[in-house]
Amino acid sequence: MLSPSQMLPEFFAFLGIDLFLALSLLTCLLEDRFPKAMPYVYQVAAVVGFGHILISRDFLAVFGEYTRFWICFLYLMVGLANVLALNIYLVALKRLYTIAKIWSGAVTFPSVLICMFFVYQYSLMQSALFPPVLQIGLLASAFVMGTSASVLLSSEIARKLFRRNKEVI
Amino acid sequence: MEWRKIAAKKAVKLLTLVLTSMLIATASAAVYYSMVMQPAVTITGASMRFAQGNDWPSGSSLGTNATWVSLALKAYPNATLTYDQPLNISNTDSASHTFRLRHVSITPASGQPQVGNFTFVNFVVQNTAGVSQASFNYTTSGNTWSTPSTTSYMTLPASTQWIIYVETKAAAGANSDIVANIQIAVDVQE
Repeated sequence: MLSPSQMLPEFFAFLGIDLFLALSLLTCLLEDRFPKAMPYVYQVAAVVGFGHILISRDFLAVFGEYTRFWICFLYLMVGLANVLALNIYLVALKRLYTIAKIWSGAVTFPSVLICMFFVYQYSLMQSALFPPVLQIGLLASAFVMGTSASVLLSSEIARKLFRRNKEVI
Repeated sequence: MEWRKIAAKKAVKLLTLVLTSMLIATASAAVYYSMVMQPAVTITGASMRFAQGNDWPSGSSLGTNATWVSLALKAYPNATLTYDQPLNISNTDSASHTFRLRHVSITPASGQPQVGNFTFVNFVVQNTAGVSQASFNYTTSGNTWSTPSTTSYMTLPASTQWIIYVETKAAAGANSDIVANIQIAVDVQE
């Protein structure tokens, strides 16, 4: 029987597409801080994701659910890695601490949390066993990541951190 | 002037990206929705099926997967012939199901002179204890059939067999070798 609430592995690809599109618009809005080509690169990445789910629709039976999940999950991880990379880029290369802090609170942290939530939901649907320690660990790490961003990204700490790095180099 | 030019250029760029983003997001959502809504049909055996009874008439046949049956019944002139248990209807599922009997067709059709050779053909649904649950009686009046109306739904409990009991009677002085074909549907609610 068909269950409309059933979540397919392609949902992660769909989430990844949305992440890339959001990144494209954000990098366009902050075009002075990012390379000019960035918005278009992310648009292309979103189109690639769209092409992927378009193709996988016709080959649902060929690929097993396991393979489909890992392909889509990998795509989502690439999207998340880009969100994080832009955050690091703002801090490490551009030294835009205020923007990086806002980016971390408004983009990186919610993106990671949303992705974690859906991956967890999917695992529950697949009757995967998540030990309580792992569940608490995931929640704690998400919380720490969200709150630590504002502390770590204060200009003084970052300046000290990168100064020390320069001395080592 | 220069600033305005830059702002306009940026606005056009952003607008283009917003439009393409909306297009990609909508198309992706549509594709994903079509994937979710793809119906999956799994072939399984029918939960309600027929089974031969202890009084199975010779010449009858049980169809493939026991989803249809053809009973070869006799009728004696001016005498009632009873088949105590020619056929069983079985619920093989672990849940109860409801079913009903519905008339589909009968030949010879009303108005034909052969019809007058029959008095009645009565199908009775009995539970395991032999208690009547529904009667589905074909009677004649002259050369006209009086076909039964569809029965109400009966609940057949899980893993249970019920009996189809049949009574037939031909008119006094009826000609032999007259055949009536009756088609009855069994509607099952899943």
